[in-house]
Amino acid sequence: MRPLTLGRLLLRCTILGLILFVVVVIALKLGAVQVSLYGLGRDLIRVLLHQSAGISTDYGVIVVDIRLPRILLAVVVGASLSVAGTSFQALLRNPLADPYVLGISSGAAVGSIIALMVENQLSISPEFAGLITPFGAFIGAAVTIAAVYFLGRRDGQMESTTLLLGGIITASFLSAIIMFLMSTLSGSNLRGASYWMMGSLSSLPPSSLLYFIGIGFIIAAGAIYTTSSDLNLLLAGEKEAMHLGVDVPRVRIVVYLAASILTGLAVSVSGAIGYVGLLVPHAMRMIFGSDHRMLIPASALGGAIALVIADTLARTVVAPSELPVGAVTAMVGAPFFIYLLRRRLA
Amino acid sequence: MLRSRSNSVSRALLFCATLFFLLSEAISAQADSSAQPPSPEMHDVTDGYGRTVRIPVNPSRIVSLAPSLTETVYALGVQDRLVGDTDYCDYPPEAQKKPKVGGVINPNLEQIAALRPDLVLLSKEGNMLDTVRALDSLHIPTYATDAHSVEQIISSTQRLADVLNASEAGKALSDDLQQRLQTLQVKLTGVPPRSVLFIVWPEPLMSVGKNTFVADALRRSGAASIVDSNQDWPQVSLEEVAKLQPDCLVFAASHTGSSGNDFESVAHRPGWQLLNAVRNRHYAVVSDAIIRPAPRIVSVIEDLARQLHPEVFQEKPDNERPSTPPTSPPFIKPIASPSRVSARSSEVQCVL
Repeated sequence: MRPLTLGRLLLRCTILGLILFVVVVIALKLGAVQVSLYGLGRDLIRVLLHQSAGISTDYGVIVVDIRLPRILLAVVVGASLSVAGTSFQALLRNPLADPYVLGISSGAAVGSIIALMVENQLSISPEFAGLITPFGAFIGAAVTIAAVYFLGRRDGQMESTTLLLGGIITASFLSAIIMFLMSTLSGSNLRGASYWMMGSLSSLPPSSLLYFIGIGFIIAAGAIYTTSSDLNLLLAGEKEAMHLGVDVPRVRIVVYLAASILTGLAVSVSGAIGYVGLLVPHAMRMIFGSDHRMLIPASALGGAIALVIADTLARTVVAPSELPVGAVTAMVGAPFFIYLLRRRLA
Repeated sequence: MLRSRSNSVSRALLFCATLFFLLSEAISAQADSSAQPPSPEMHDVTDGYGRTVRIPVNPSRIVSLAPSLTETVYALGVQDRLVGDTDYCDYPPEAQKKPKVGGVINPNLEQIAALRPDLVLLSKEGNMLDTVRALDSLHIPTYATDAHSVEQIISSTQRLADVLNASEAGKALSDDLQQRLQTLQVKLTGVPPRSVLFIVWPEPLMSVGKNTFVADALRRSGAASIVDSNQDWPQVSLEEVAKLQPDCLVFAASHTGSSGNDFESVAHRPGWQLLNAVRNRHYAVVSDAIIRPAPRIVSVIEDLARQLHPEVFQEKPDNERPSTPPTSPPFIKPIASPSRVSARSSEVQCVL
């Protein structure tokens, strides 16, 4: 493998970025309602020029108000999940780790179910009503992150094995709570909760929420990127990394917190979408190698591409109905992953 | 190799900032574009969520997101203004030909928007709050109904008729429904209710809670559900059912062909022979309209009452008026229990 240079890094990211752009444009065109490529291009240019009054109403509502926010959400959620997956795989030095391995999605699920249950009792002004479930989910995720953090400490320091075990125990405990809560729910609450657990991008996020998770992604992913050289050394082993001058405890805490926050944000707006955080990091590693300076941006872009494609399939395959996007990520992701694995072995 | 870490960080930040810029650009544009409401005559009404919604006085392009609401729209005779419904809207059969907008819990927003509705009807029980919010953010007027008893089904039908500017049809329909219920109630006066188990789903066994409109419908047809739960669709253990020994099982048949909850398939499941109702083959099958909060529920109540208390209806064989909305009692399987029927008829004769 040739050494990574700035030029190569930029080139690869640009290529991935272009692929993402093409995928987004195709995703904007496809959907239950037919949209012509010409009309789409004209409208997109108008949006970018802030001439929104000229947007034809037919395309305007559907493309700009429904598809675009959803696709942007898929971009941010996909990028968050796969960066979180990459980080957890490096941090726990376990190839099976994914963003949900430490129970964050279960914690978020408990939070969102409780939010669903109290939501009907509270009278909330409509501007904030859409934020209750994501807020509940994020609180659930944050509490779980803190709990797992304290469980994962031994002799005052965070330790990978203890963290992993603590996370798995927390996840199964929380799953039991979810089962219990689900059995007390009924009607639309139950359907809402089970739909949430399958993962879905179909509810239009308020734009304030999109800003929030966009900013959260930039901060958390940026924090992880600052540790990418240390993560490379950590691959050799924690002792070895320490001897090479890596401040291992600091790296662990930064990566753990940042990756957890990424997961929590993604889960709170989209539910638990599986496989993206597991498959995309591995796929990127097979294509680009395991240098985290390349792997982290590649995972972000690759995750965004993968989730936009999966969500577009979810929207269009059985239109006008929708598939749960989690089912699509698994169905498309697993064969693709096997292909990559075989190709590398051959 | 990379020259320095700070260099790489600044590049990453630059990339992210670009991404963020594009994102914010798109969102701010989105906010601008959506503020152009059409201007027909509007008024404020209160809906099933208890919120005040601004809707057109005379909605002309209606989308229904629940089978019960589609049925009600047809029953009110304003189906010409219905421009779309869900995949599950199968009654009346013509409703299947309307343009589809996807499922009840996951309707396709694009498809709804493309139909350019001036009113979307939802049910608080069946649809998701997320759907309501998404439609709100697209400035599509919504109206939700909510009914937990037969009485409320009728009153919410009347309110829906007012909302759809079909008050007179609503008045006629609800008067008719009220009168039929009244007639039935008079007939069943003094008839002891039969204890029943209403089977929503046999495995795991699910029934209805006491606060649902289904339990109310059972009560009105001279049946008492053995399940006393505050949950709407409680899971019940067979043990509990065997202890309470319902007199009769009630199934909701689906005319779309899912026969999973048919008597024969249930009777052969292990453990069910413990029930006297299964051994004596006491069961009634009613239309699945019983689990839809729509006007048709009154027909189901009448049908179930006939099946559970045939003796009451023996003297006057058929006095049903033809003007009623489409009644479909195709699932009348008389309960094979001659001894019981004769025992009952004597009671009834005393009462009358």
